[in-house]
Amino acid sequence: MAPYLVLLTWAAVALPVVLALSWPVRPLRKLATRVAPWAAMPALGLAALHLATPGALPGAASPVQAPSLFLGMRLGVDLLGGGLLALTAFLWVAAGAYARSYHRDDPRQGSFFAFFCATLAGNLGLVLAGDLLTFYFSFAVMTFAGWGLVVHDRSVAALRAGRVYIILALIGEVAILAALFALGAAAGGGILLGFDLMEAWVALGDRAPLVAGLAVAGFGVKAGLVPLHLWLPLAHPVAPTAASALLSGVMIKAGLLGWLRVLPWGGEVLLPGVGETLLVLGIVGALYGVAVGLAQDDPKTILAYSSVSQMGSMVMGTGLLVLLPSAAPLALGAVIVFALHHGVAKGALFLSVGLADRLPAPPGRGGGGGGGGSEGGGARRSGPWRWGLRLAVVLPALALAGAPLTSGPIAKGALKEALAELGGSWYAVLDPLLLAAAFGTTLLLVRFAVVLEARADDGETSHGSANHGDAASGRDRSWAGPWGLALPLAVLVLAGLLAPVWLVSLVPLPGEGMQATRGGGLPGPLNDVGSALLPVLAALGVAGLFLARTRPGTRPGTRPGTGAGTGLGPGMRGATDQGGPGFLARLARWRIPAGDLLVVVEALLRRRPDGPRAVAWIANRTREAGEALEAAVIRLHARLESRDLGLARGWVVGVLLAGLVLVLSLALGPLLPSRRE
Amino acid sequence: MTPLVAWEALPLAVVLSSLVPGIGIMLLGEEAQRARITLNLLGAVAKVVLVGFMLQGVGAGASYAWRFTVLPGLEFSLVGDALALLFVTLSAVLWLVTTVYAIGYLEGGENRRRFFSFFSLCVTATTGLAMAGDLFTFVLFYEALTWATYPLVVHRGTPEAIQAGRRYLVYTLVSGTVLVLGAVWFQVETGGVAFQPGGVVDPEAAAAQPGRYLALFLVLLAGASVKAALFPVHGWLPVAMVAPAPVSALLHAVAVVKAGAFALIRLLHSLFGIEVASDIGAAGIVAVLAAVTILYGSIRALNQDDLKRLLAFSTVSQLSYVALGVALLTPTAQIGGLVHLVHQGIMKITLFFCAGLLAHTLGVKKISQMGGVARRMPLTMMAFTVAALGMIGIPPVAGFLSKWYLGVGAMEAGMPWVVGVLLASSLLNAAYFLPVIRTAYLDATPDRWPSEGDARFGRIEADVRLLVPALVVALLALASGVFGGSPWSPLGWTELIVGRGDL
Repeated sequence: MAPYLVLLTWAAVALPVVLALSWPVRPLRKLATRVAPWAAMPALGLAALHLATPGALPGAASPVQAPSLFLGMRLGVDLLGGGLLALTAFLWVAAGAYARSYHRDDPRQGSFFAFFCATLAGNLGLVLAGDLLTFYFSFAVMTFAGWGLVVHDRSVAALRAGRVYIILALIGEVAILAALFALGAAAGGGILLGFDLMEAWVALGDRAPLVAGLAVAGFGVKAGLVPLHLWLPLAHPVAPTAASALLSGVMIKAGLLGWLRVLPWGGEVLLPGVGETLLVLGIVGALYGVAVGLAQDDPKTILAYSSVSQMGSMVMGTGLLVLLPSAAPLALGAVIVFALHHGVAKGALFLSVGLADRLPAPPGRGGGGGGGGSEGGGARRSGPWRWGLRLAVVLPALALAGAPLTSGPIAKGALKEALAELGGSWYAVLDPLLLAAAFGTTLLLVRFAVVLEARADDGETSHGSANHGDAASGRDRSWAGPWGLALPLAVLVLAGLLAPVWLVSLVPLPGEGMQATRGGGLPGPLNDVGSALLPVLAALGVAGLFLARTRPGTRPGTRPGTGAGTGLGPGMRGATDQGGPGFLARLARWRIPAGDLLVVVEALLRRRPDGPRAVAWIANRTREAGEALEAAVIRLHARLESRDLGLARGWVVGVLLAGLVLVLSLALGPLLPSRRE
Repeated sequence: MTPLVAWEALPLAVVLSSLVPGIGIMLLGEEAQRARITLNLLGAVAKVVLVGFMLQGVGAGASYAWRFTVLPGLEFSLVGDALALLFVTLSAVLWLVTTVYAIGYLEGGENRRRFFSFFSLCVTATTGLAMAGDLFTFVLFYEALTWATYPLVVHRGTPEAIQAGRRYLVYTLVSGTVLVLGAVWFQVETGGVAFQPGGVVDPEAAAAQPGRYLALFLVLLAGASVKAALFPVHGWLPVAMVAPAPVSALLHAVAVVKAGAFALIRLLHSLFGIEVASDIGAAGIVAVLAAVTILYGSIRALNQDDLKRLLAFSTVSQLSYVALGVALLTPTAQIGGLVHLVHQGIMKITLFFCAGLLAHTLGVKKISQMGGVARRMPLTMMAFTVAALGMIGIPPVAGFLSKWYLGVGAMEAGMPWVVGVLLASSLLNAAYFLPVIRTAYLDATPDRWPSEGDARFGRIEADVRLLVPALVVALLALASGVFGGSPWSPLGWTELIVGRGDL
């Protein structure tokens, strides 16, 4: 292997580590912060090389190794990791560039990029990991460094999200560790675990379902598996925009990769229960995410719920992988394609929210202060920006919804083709539900677009945390506009647009429909255009009707019951007149707090601040027992002293010691001679 | 590779390297500060160098033993084998850092002659018992340790300190007496007291009279468990917190509690042998006691406001990881237990250094006073964070490696409940460490700190003599985890011990 490849592989992980570590060293901090946005560049180079010459890189068969790091670290790009490496590196570079502008005037810019780099190091480490321990190490580093990104704002909401994030992350870690302990012990032969775990799974025997369940739950926290997703709709939106994009676009996929790496599939060990559970949780998540997401007001929260829903599809694919060995190649390809497609599109959508907050000011609102300089044409000036933003929202949204000619039908088609292998009653149930999910996804994205549109209108009024002082708004709202935000976003949108081309060359899809796609060069199987278009069109129609009937803008009031309503957007905040009598208006007002089930959990905890009664009981009894024990000792001590042993205290010690010596010599004396003989 | 130094009496030299400064400092006057510091540092550096030679030699396959016949048949023996060196290296390195720290910490204080003298004697006793080649030598140093530590615990001279010192003496002296009785009984019973890998108890004799041997074991365990702070005889440890920070650091990381844990290792592995110990049910008792202590300590550490008291209960808990690991039958778990002896030491000393830094620089002693302290002392809190994450067992800090070996070993031994205990303890550790970290980084900074001294430290946040040792040990904790695969890491050395059958 060429030495430069080895070097590049190491550099991909080492650069972010070095940058994160140099933050505490004050003289290096400035330089590190300047380089940090580009920390994923070596990884991007690695991904490009992998694309250009697959198999040339250090891989599963010949990883680069550092035996002295951890328990013997191995890095490489294998079939599974290759696609995710491309997504990871690409999205981190784009988000880094975006964050560079976004946090230019942020007083905590340095701390943001320190956590950014630490999280990146973990993320790249887990994608490149060539063994299970390296994977777990990196996973944990990413998880705990990610906390710093979540709480970056230091707002009440951010701190709450951070708390929920860390608690669920810890529970996840514990579940993962328990599974890995069992696998490690079952693997025999020592403490090092490669990814080839089948023997260990076989050795686990009856306990395999339990261990697999632990792994499913552990990684499920990261992957937003319902009902472990509680933290996700809180944490993803509250992080700074670039970090939101990363959390929802890439880091969420770490849980997925964890399943693919650890769970047994395509081989001797069959865990139908686990597979079926995943299938059910997947479809539930796909629908549930949409349903709760529709009842949100914040654009980022809507996107977070959309992620929960989209991950549901990938959960289904994973379930199929575990359930049906014959469908494994199809399912694997589908899951990876879906992950990449979703990553790029969701990343772009998140970044668009940050841009909407910082659009150049329309005339008359005085955003640019005196500095803007040029006169007139303000409306036209902000016009192109608005249209650009709309384009950057619509294109990825169409892809996610599954409109033809985008990457959507490829991902969805691949998944459907794989699920079709299930056949029978399973597929009969899943197929219509998938259709419903696709329908819902489109609705959800329409809602996102509407809400964002309103927010862009509101852009001038404070969307607080986004503006870091006057200098920031002054610069960002000058005639040049926020190019630093727009360019990375544009690159991401473009990548999403081209996804049909690169997706199929990056991921080997074994499915027949996909083969045809690759051969014919036409993105998306054309004969499927109808079926792909149907839910999208239906949802657009429904959304349009709904909007028309509830939107306050349609003022005429000629039709009964449409004159007022809260509308779909919070931006129409003037519409407090909740007078709409109809079912639709009521539906439009329907809200669920972000975190959905979390609210129930928190309510339960409020009633019992110390947690469930049993836990509190144990903790309290332990404390009481300990304190009672200590008090008893103190009493004993006091009693000894009060009985006028005061004078004798020195004596007591002395007598004790003298006794010791005596006993020693008495005991040893007679023994020794006999031992001599 | 051949040993650079093949001098048999190297173990004696290691012991003397702190004994001589200890006595020397006592002879010097209170005012002879420069001479005292020189002597102290010379001794500490010499010890590290000597231990380095021994490490290299033992790594190359040599062994060091120095024997002196006290009475016919009763030997005083110091042996530098791989297992002893694990502990000796830990104490030598941490003694050096702590000495620097203590010099900075106690500057201008009273009774420094007494302090540094007993400080050296304390380490002498620790290295002595680490290298003790038989039970007799071990008990000698074990008792000496009690006496060498007492003046350090009561150093402040406050009524509270005197009280704590008294409690400490009662606990340790009573247990010491029991240990001596046990040692005598052991000698009578088995006829040999020299430590041997695999034990000196005759398996057949033990199988014939399991009850008798179990009783013997329990007597020795009662003697050793006080210093190992096993529940329910851990009570002295949280009280001894009144001692100055460097003392707490050394007490918790190296000296007293580690002596107890090491006594358990010797008892289980070098006297009874782990097979015999588990046949007669002794190992099981230790494992259960350790598990109870792990959970008990963690639960007690919750809701503590006094930082050092929190750390003390954390020690109670973490120390039992060692006992738990070495009481299991599988080599993997034993590696995990042994290596935690070192890992816990490095991480805990970091935490105590940081607690001392906060108290010394800002007068911050309670967690409720720590709001925003990371903005005032970023490097200190960074070190604290590394060590605390390590305690929870989050990679890449060293603590994770211990946990990994313990967990896998427990599963190999077919004891999933141990995994349950480990993971529950991890969650509890997170529950008491993470709020501290959160407070320090995110809460608002108070207008003024409880007692910020007039001393200005330039652009650095605190006295360098305190800060540098804390950063060094934090880096050690990190490096022990990151370079865990290296043969010279604590983990690598532990694998060597167990792989060679030296345990």
